Amino acid sequence: MSHLAHTVAVRATGVDMFFGTPDNQVVALKQADFEARRGELIMLVGPSGCGKTTLLSVIAGTLTPQAGTVEVFGQRLDGLGQEALTTFRRKNLGFVFQSFNLIPTLTVVENVMVPLLIQGRPYDEARERSLALIEKVGLKGREEGRPNALSGGQQQRVAIARALVHEPPLLICDEPTSALDKDTGAHIMQLVRDLSRSPERCVVVVTHDHRIFRFADRIAEMEDGRISRVVDDPKLLDTSHL
Amino acid sequence: MYRLALNMLFGDRAKLAMLLCGLAFSALLMAQQSSVFFGIMSWTYTPMVNIRAQVWVSDPMVEQVNDAKPLRDTDLGRVRSVDGVAWAAPLHTSFVQARMQDGNFKLITLVGIDADTFAGAPAVLTQGRIEDLRLPDTVIVDEWGASLMGRMGVGPDGKPRSTPLKVGDTFEINDIQARIVGICKVRRAFTGGPFVYTTYDRAKGYTLGARRTLSFMLVEPQKGVAPAELCGRIERDTGLKAWTSDTVIWNWGERSLARNTFWWFWTNTGIPFSFGTAVLLGLFVGIAISGQTFYSFVLENLKYFAAIKAMGAGMGVIARMLFVQAFTAGLIGFGLGAGMAQAIGRVMIEKGMPPFVMFPQILWATFALVLGISFVSAVIGIIKVSRVDAASVFRG
Ligand SMILES: Nc1ncnc2c1ncn2[C@@H]1O[C@H](COP(=O)(O)OP(=O)(O)OP(=O)(O)O)[C@@H](O)[C@H]1O
Ligand SMILES: [Mg+2]
Repeated sequence: MSHLAHTVAVRATGVDMFFGTPDNQVVALKQADFEARRGELIMLVGPSGCGKTTLLSVIAGTLTPQAGTVEVFGQRLDGLGQEALTTFRRKNLGFVFQSFNLIPTLTVVENVMVPLLIQGRPYDEARERSLALIEKVGLKGREEGRPNALSGGQQQRVAIARALVHEPPLLICDEPTSALDKDTGAHIMQLVRDLSRSPERCVVVVTHDHRIFRFADRIAEMEDGRISRVVDDPKLLDTSHL
Repeated sequence: MYRLALNMLFGDRAKLAMLLCGLAFSALLMAQQSSVFFGIMSWTYTPMVNIRAQVWVSDPMVEQVNDAKPLRDTDLGRVRSVDGVAWAAPLHTSFVQARMQDGNFKLITLVGIDADTFAGAPAVLTQGRIEDLRLPDTVIVDEWGASLMGRMGVGPDGKPRSTPLKVGDTFEINDIQARIVGICKVRRAFTGGPFVYTTYDRAKGYTLGARRTLSFMLVEPQKGVAPAELCGRIERDTGLKAWTSDTVIWNWGERSLARNTFWWFWTNTGIPFSFGTAVLLGLFVGIAISGQTFYSFVLENLKYFAAIKAMGAGMGVIARMLFVQAFTAGLIGFGLGAGMAQAIGRVMIEKGMPPFVMFPQILWATFALVLGISFVSAVIGIIKVSRVDAASVFRG
């Protein structure tokens, strides 16, 4: 048991999350249990509306569930105040949002720098690290452009660079390859997967994209607000909804 | 992060331009409206500016400079004997009808100054010499009055003239000829009417009916005697009222006649009210416009601030980012607006219409208001961002 505890990166137990008023309630998560291990890239799949994004938000500490416990790298999130949750996110999390949320008035490199600057890193250092990563995601030459001048796939790569730049222990990606072609998607997933290969790290990826399943160590299937099954091999998945 | 905050602000040139236009326009409106207001109010004590003397002495009942209560000629001697008085000169001011060449009448402000000292003479003559006032039947007219009265003149061909009166032209005051020997530059007065300068003795002639013609006495203190102190002595020794002549609105002394005149108009006329409402309107419109533009700027950036918050920026950092943005925009907007107000003001002062007095205090007040608006907008933005659900950034 103690050995097991040591290998757990994220553990959510008995999580309930509903939205709306009591008489008009939407149940997003119902007694959901989820576990991700250190050094692992785990994918979350399931039909639209089954609660994937909601589960990510709960793990990220941006949504507080009505019931259940969440633990990330040994830290319990339930009971933490807003400021403590903010500090937790700043130190531990990288995000790739479903709708990239790039800031249109900033340049590409400035967008990537944001997490480093939030951490209080010096501007020049932040810029240097961001430029290096932009090159890695294949956007060299676009650093000083505006996100809106990029294609959807390029914007997504900027979002991924922004999520990776501060090397967060927990990387959370909501549909990171939805706008990428097969080769670029594979290239990006390789980057993400390399990042996960360390006991201090963990990557959770929500996706519909079966082409990238091969990068997953494990795949958790979601259905009606809970994890229904966890498999090691993509071939075992029920892919009827994809 | 602050550098990014600025880049966010400057990133969208079109929106920034809108924001700055709104702020600049309201700063302009506020500065310009209050300047015109104070310009009009400062017209009330124009004689204090045009007739230069350190100390004015009047009848004890006098409350403001446009309403003189005549003194006895013997009062002059009593004032001259007060300790600390270097000299005292008589001054006559009255409103009289002057008959123009075309036969029509025009109300003028007649100023009679002492022919020996020329105390109270206009500061700037654009034509002629002050000494020529010692010639018979002579007057000096102000520039603006000369052009007004010129329109009531008759040219050599017998047709109405369109040029201003000039040295050598004549008109009549109470059937006595007035020959122009000089044109001076003076400030416009609230009571309207051209300023017509002549000697004190000749003014007596021009106002034949008047029993007493000594409106004020202009007094020069001896070296080392402060005007305010001398005023006290004159009042104690003669029972008359003595005033200082400072006209600097934010720095005038207790005994300033300009100050008394200003406040007399403030309390006894509807001017402050009617013009004050225009100023207030300008303020409200200004506040509304800049507040609105700021608010929409904040709303447009709300979801990006939410993303920054989700990525782990505390509210403290976000608050400071918003303040940096608001104050930067406020500063630039104020600069543009104040600059425009200055430029427009310069044109107005040149034309003399409408009156325009832009004290540094008006600029400071506008500055404070614009920064206040920026501050409030930033606070509203901060409240909005603090309420925004960080999880909302995950949704599409
Ligand atoms: N803030 C909210 N208010 C009301 N209902 C919500 C809210 N967020 C999510 N829901 C509901 O909760 C359920 C789960 O939503 P969620 O976004 O987690 O689904 P998802 O699995 O990410 O779907 P997709 O694949 O389309 O992104 C849905 O029925 C959704 O309508
Ligand atoms: Mg989703």
